[in-house]
Amino acid sequence: MKFYKPDNLNELLGYINNLENKFYLLAGGTDINVQIKNGFINDEEIIYINHLDELRNIEDSERELKLGTLVTFAEILNSDLISNNFPFLQESLKNFASPLLQNMATIGGNIANGSPTADVLPLLLVLEAKLELVSSNSSRVVEIKDYFTGYKKTLLKSDEIIKNIILSKDKYHLFTKKLYKKVGARNALTIAKAAIACLIKTNNQVIEDFVIAAGSLNEFARRLYRVENYLIGKKFSELDYTEIETLLRKEITPISDIRSDKEYRFQVFYNLLENFLTV
Amino acid sequence: MKISFTLNNKKVSIDTEPTKRLLDVLREDFKMMEVKESCGEGECGACTVLLDDKPVTSCLLNIIHVEGKKVFTSEGLSKKFLGKLLIDCFDETNAVQCGFCFPGFLVTSYHYLKTDGEANLEKIKVALSGNICRCTGYQKIFESVMLACLRNDSTGGKS
Repeated sequence: MKFYKPDNLNELLGYINNLENKFYLLAGGTDINVQIKNGFINDEEIIYINHLDELRNIEDSERELKLGTLVTFAEILNSDLISNNFPFLQESLKNFASPLLQNMATIGGNIANGSPTADVLPLLLVLEAKLELVSSNSSRVVEIKDYFTGYKKTLLKSDEIIKNIILSKDKYHLFTKKLYKKVGARNALTIAKAAIACLIKTNNQVIEDFVIAAGSLNEFARRLYRVENYLIGKKFSELDYTEIETLLRKEITPISDIRSDKEYRFQVFYNLLENFLTV
Repeated sequence: MKISFTLNNKKVSIDTEPTKRLLDVLREDFKMMEVKESCGEGECGACTVLLDDKPVTSCLLNIIHVEGKKVFTSEGLSKKFLGKLLIDCFDETNAVQCGFCFPGFLVTSYHYLKTDGEANLEKIKVALSGNICRCTGYQKIFESVMLACLRNDSTGGKS
């Protein structure tokens, strides 16, 4: 296995700009080492980046919080900046893997690995996070809702890396109720059979704003716009749950696999949403 | 590639593949057989070690991850005040059955005792949630850690 360890971010970007081979970035190692063990990574080059502390900062400004790609889940769970600005994110990630993996796993890795079950994705989707993607000669910001284009397929070009995850503070405080729920076989170390994140803003029984995202229910984690559009502007008393179920069936296309079957996944997701809207 | 790190308070270095798993370096090159492999995917915690004082699964780390850092395995615990206290408590409550998960549980429990140490069952369960015992002796394990926390409190938290 070919190996490379750059001294800094610039060197990394210059190196991958000229690289023709397929490569993997090695950060915390919690996903990649499982793939190596199972024989999914063989000849690809491994580029170690976990020592690049310039990618590990949490930067605070008036309107946003910027998380470096190497920020670990333990750092997220212990960060005062995150508990002050996005307590929902911190509370929701308490059951991320286990405390042992939280110490190594990085937020950038959870996104870049591209798994539809990645815990952080439904949360970043409802928080309308943006990703800063950089290469040796470019820098662009994309919305996380546009980042995934298919199963493990993304907008990331072969010479780019995810540098920062950007969370806007503008809308967050307007939401009156928040839900994140991951359904799995047990509490610790569970890989979600279904995951839901939603934020709602209500005023006098009217739904003024609503965002919802699903994990593990499509080829990639995504926002459910048809459900959002149906709910926004309605009173709770006007909601037709048969219609919501129909819209949900159009939006999510669960698969049956080793962890669960599609009818269970659909039903559990629908129940969580109904419960959120009625209780 | 030559990698240097601190292993149980001793400076060591090794010339090896930088992607070799920390678990394999510890067992094969340093003959530290107390670090166990079971699932090899980070789910069971049998291979837990401390990396710069934080518990991690050594099966998901590559040796490059520990360059310039401190690695601590369960081997050194009996020489530490809190380690000895823990081992005595596991012993007294008969918490160890087949023993395979025990080195991992010890390392994670030691970290809990050192960094939090409150005799709080819910907190202990969360702290140990990355370690699995397939003899399923969890109650005795939780009791042991509770007992260690209480005893450590009564000594004034000396470590």
